[in-house]
Amino acid sequence: MPSSRRHLRVPTLLTGAVLVTSACSGAAGPGATGGPSTTAPDRSWDEVLAEADGQTVDLWMYGGDQLGNAYVDDVLAPAAAGLGVTLRRVPVTDTADALNRVLSELQAGTDDGSVDLVWVNGENFASGRQADAWLCGWTDQLPSMAYVDPEDPLLTSDFGTPVDGCEAPWHKAQFVLAYDSAAVTDPPSSMTELFAWVEANPGRFTYPAPPDFTGSAFLRQALYAVAGGPDEVPAEFDQAAFDELAPELFDRLAALAPSLWRAGDTYPQDLAALEELYAGDQVDVTMTYGPATLAQQVASGALPAGTRVLPLEGGTLGNASFLAVPVNAADQAGALAVADLALTPEQQLAKADPAVWGQYPVLAPDRLPGDVAAAFAALPSSEAVPPFEELSRDADPELGAGWVGPLEDGWRSDVLGAG
Amino acid sequence: MSRVAPARQRAGVAPRVALLLAWFALPLVPLLLWAAADRWSYPAALPTDWGVTGWRQALDQGALPALGRSVLLGLAVAALATPAGAMAGRALALHRVPARRVVEALLLAPVAVPPFAVVMGLTTLALRLGVPAGVGLVVVLAVSAVPYTVFVMRAAYAGHDIGMEEEARTLGAGPRAVLLRVHLPLLAPALATAAFLAFLVGWSDYVVTLVVGGGRLVTLPMLVGALSSATGNDAVVAAVSLAAVLPPLALLLATALLARRGAR
Repeated sequence: MPSSRRHLRVPTLLTGAVLVTSACSGAAGPGATGGPSTTAPDRSWDEVLAEADGQTVDLWMYGGDQLGNAYVDDVLAPAAAGLGVTLRRVPVTDTADALNRVLSELQAGTDDGSVDLVWVNGENFASGRQADAWLCGWTDQLPSMAYVDPEDPLLTSDFGTPVDGCEAPWHKAQFVLAYDSAAVTDPPSSMTELFAWVEANPGRFTYPAPPDFTGSAFLRQALYAVAGGPDEVPAEFDQAAFDELAPELFDRLAALAPSLWRAGDTYPQDLAALEELYAGDQVDVTMTYGPATLAQQVASGALPAGTRVLPLEGGTLGNASFLAVPVNAADQAGALAVADLALTPEQQLAKADPAVWGQYPVLAPDRLPGDVAAAFAALPSSEAVPPFEELSRDADPELGAGWVGPLEDGWRSDVLGAG
Repeated sequence: MSRVAPARQRAGVAPRVALLLAWFALPLVPLLLWAAADRWSYPAALPTDWGVTGWRQALDQGALPALGRSVLLGLAVAALATPAGAMAGRALALHRVPARRVVEALLLAPVAVPPFAVVMGLTTLALRLGVPAGVGLVVVLAVSAVPYTVFVMRAAYAGHDIGMEEEARTLGAGPRAVLLRVHLPLLAPALATAAFLAFLVGWSDYVVTLVVGGGRLVTLPMLVGALSSATGNDAVVAAVSLAAVLPPLALLLATALLARRGAR
């Protein structure tokens, strides 16, 4: 389950309402009117650790990912206890719940907020930045940032919003298509070839109906293909670019529809439904934003043994998710200590193990100590999924969150039912 | 009335009870099946692999402490809302209340207004006043439970024979004895129903617990909500949902039994 699933949604009505009211009353203008400061105090890391000792950090995170919950409870929390920090996980249905809590606290002028750390990316990060809800300029203080490539484009921009030290990287994700090598002998090697393959093999391909997260990612991948590459699509949503590019995309997908499973009359409702079709040999291709789950499903026999990731020319979409600290976190030092801990090679290595969570590390391999790099290389590999360096070699940047809604709406009106 | 209902009367009751039980039980059937399924692939009518994985995962995800917190929250809400509802219900049923319509409307308002809309404002208020999250949470939930307890207690007091209490007084019982030995026993079934409804408000709430409670109290509905927002969690969601549904069902049966005994 990709982390971003819950982060991409349009912020709830409440977030909007709070933004409006706080903008009117001026109550949430941190920094301007004596509210909490938006930049972390400059202090030595030892001082941070000393202050963190004894604090309880509330980590608000999407709670639908059982492996993720278990990793935090069983691996990260005990390690935090070693620093004298108690780590509590607050499971939420949607990351916007955490942001809503922070915004109402800011509106009330609370400076000992109950949210210390949030697992976030995309839309919720952007909304929080607009409201000055995130503490900024603190990631440089983290000793473990030494293992991170400061130029890595996936980590400097979060769905088009500059990160600016307002969140610490946590892990990466990569969108992939996978096929059954036992059934497909001539796998396509680009999105354009995939479309041609679909038309040559009617009924053997489909994709989850957007707004399913994976289906929506497929839509963005297809947009890059018809536009001629990521460079042709502005990252920030732009109506003129949309008006120019979207018709071509929707025409292509509508033309493809009669060759889809059930002639495009209907689409699988979500990724789980597509996986059922793929496992049941109804289609030959599946897709996911979390390739590690693919390796597990092949190992457990849930997916065919011949499953292989489809290497696509021009790469596929990639993104990263992060840990952010609200400006009014009661246990700010503890939150920083945990964010640093989560970035250590040991934690990133433990988390990358598919049996633990299977999340791709954000660390740069050439900055790692030799033994850790070797340990990463020795992680259980799967014939189905190539190593991450290979997968992510030319990762396409994610589009700005503003693109998601218009693309999904356009698909619904122009493609759905075109079969 | 005789203690055993005539056979003819019972024969008419049985199908209705069966129907009611089916109404409650049918939605539980898929839950029960999923909670006992290790794997259930799409076209199969029954789980393809049986097992207790769902329950084991539920325990791993902290279902047990969440259950305990849910019970505590439900009890705290019932403890506040039941006496409040009883006092308001008694006043409305037995006494002349000035601006009665306004009072009634105010008491019922929390039901009419969607909690989601109110919660954000209340959170800000509670935060500004410096109310601890746990206290704020119980108070807000108790207020939203009061309409139900008032409704139940008002009906109970409307049918309550105040003459019984007067008679006890004439026979020499003090106010305390009247309350404990006449008043409360007569109203026990209604009080139990009111407390049950108030308990349910605290037991099943998600929004207020999360937003006003500030995430300090991870209850069963929060687990159900978080886990069910992902695909592939069906077995664990079923197990946690059952854990959330069964205790109120047991309580409902208990209150129903108590009410029947009281009616005789």
